[in-house]
Amino acid sequence: MATSISHDRLREMASPWLLASQDSRPLRIHRDTTEFFSVEYGDVVDLGGIPYLIRNNAKEGRFGLDDEVKHWVKLAIDLRDGSRKVIKLVFHEKFKAHIGGIEFECFRSPRKEARILDLVAGKKNFMHGYWEKDEKQNVVRVLDFIYGPPLSNYIQNLKLDHQTYFFDQFPNILDQFIECICGIQFLHNHGEKHGDIRRDHILIDRENGHYRWIDFDFNYRHRENIFGYDLFGLGNVLVFLAGMGDVLLQDLSLKDHPALNALNEEDLNIVFHNRVVNLKKIYPYIPHALNQILLHFSKGANRFYETTGQLLDDLRDFRNG
Amino acid sequence: MIVGEKVFNKNILVAVDDSDNARRAVSYVAQLLGGFTGFNVTVLHVVPEAEEDYFASDSERDAWFKQYQQKVAAMLEDYRQILLKGGFDASHVSVRSPLRYCPSMAECILSERDELAYDTIVVGRQGLSRKEEFLFGSISSKIVTHARNCTVWVVE
Repeated sequence: MATSISHDRLREMASPWLLASQDSRPLRIHRDTTEFFSVEYGDVVDLGGIPYLIRNNAKEGRFGLDDEVKHWVKLAIDLRDGSRKVIKLVFHEKFKAHIGGIEFECFRSPRKEARILDLVAGKKNFMHGYWEKDEKQNVVRVLDFIYGPPLSNYIQNLKLDHQTYFFDQFPNILDQFIECICGIQFLHNHGEKHGDIRRDHILIDRENGHYRWIDFDFNYRHRENIFGYDLFGLGNVLVFLAGMGDVLLQDLSLKDHPALNALNEEDLNIVFHNRVVNLKKIYPYIPHALNQILLHFSKGANRFYETTGQLLDDLRDFRNG
Repeated sequence: MIVGEKVFNKNILVAVDDSDNARRAVSYVAQLLGGFTGFNVTVLHVVPEAEEDYFASDSERDAWFKQYQQKVAAMLEDYRQILLKGGFDASHVSVRSPLRYCPSMAECILSERDELAYDTIVVGRQGLSRKEEFLFGSISSKIVTHARNCTVWVVE
């Protein structure tokens, strides 16, 4: 269904966000979004009769690298009420990812993200939105904009020593993260992977303080354990939170840290061999029970978590202990 | 036979894919049991239902599946020939390639065993590193852990 709003009325609705120089040219209205590169700043995407004014392409930066422009992800304005949205157009990307020398096949799936949006509607630990097919049957997702920083930025910008952080801030952060793990358990119970669990894929909603998972379109071809990669991601975030950032061998070496000589191979991340997982050797006040949980993600682990339930049981025992 | 003792059947289920490990498992059975009477071998490849998310369209998925089935048919015939050359009679060798929804391949293989009453399952060891097993899981390890009422041979 195309919007019933006239072109002149659309222009009038869009004018608060358009540059004066754009006022004279006609608005371009897209109902077929297949060629996402051609959907540009100042255009309108008409989805099921709802007009969205396109602003910028989204960017994503990580590990100090320059932000990568995601041309299929557009920041937009819902012209009916002026609210900010994120519009994800269809991009079927398949590629080989490498992690710790292991190659595996990854792909983006708009349908997966659409299914999960339906599944998590109203759940506080997830981003929200809806999906609509454009006139070429592309599954376009319209997401509510979340105001707030990624969890990774929040942690890295704290100006605290670790001990103060660990006793004053970490308990609440851990409780929030446990709720996030419950969210992933909910997905798994419904046969869905998150697919790209990362510290910057949790946003802290400034409005209510909720930690919210974002980005559900990433997927990987699983082998035996369908949720193994998700669990690995949860472990990495947990260790990052407990350590108030990554504890890297290089950093310890530069600081000539006294614990350096006490570390061995088994204390390191099972996949990323430059990250310390046995944090108790660095921060001795970390409780044994918590450290034991972290060690499930170390090279020296005797057994791995196979389900989110196992991880949650141990974390709750620690919090209640 | 001792009275009251469990009687094991001589039905062998060899679970395979297109890996060298699977091929070794088939060769092992051919060399160990070829020429003996009474053994029935089924070479099983569970075809996992293609994830719809992986494909941009239904036609792309159908094309992929057709190609996959052809590859599986050729692979199973190759394994069948290994068993025949090892001394098995053709009437005692069969192949199966059921299509299943498979979040866990190990569980799919074990459910095939339950349906068809094989007392022995043979798999090739994948030789995964610890981090691979952690990230993606091991089919053979899971079969060994979860198999009940049958014997599992893991061929190195």
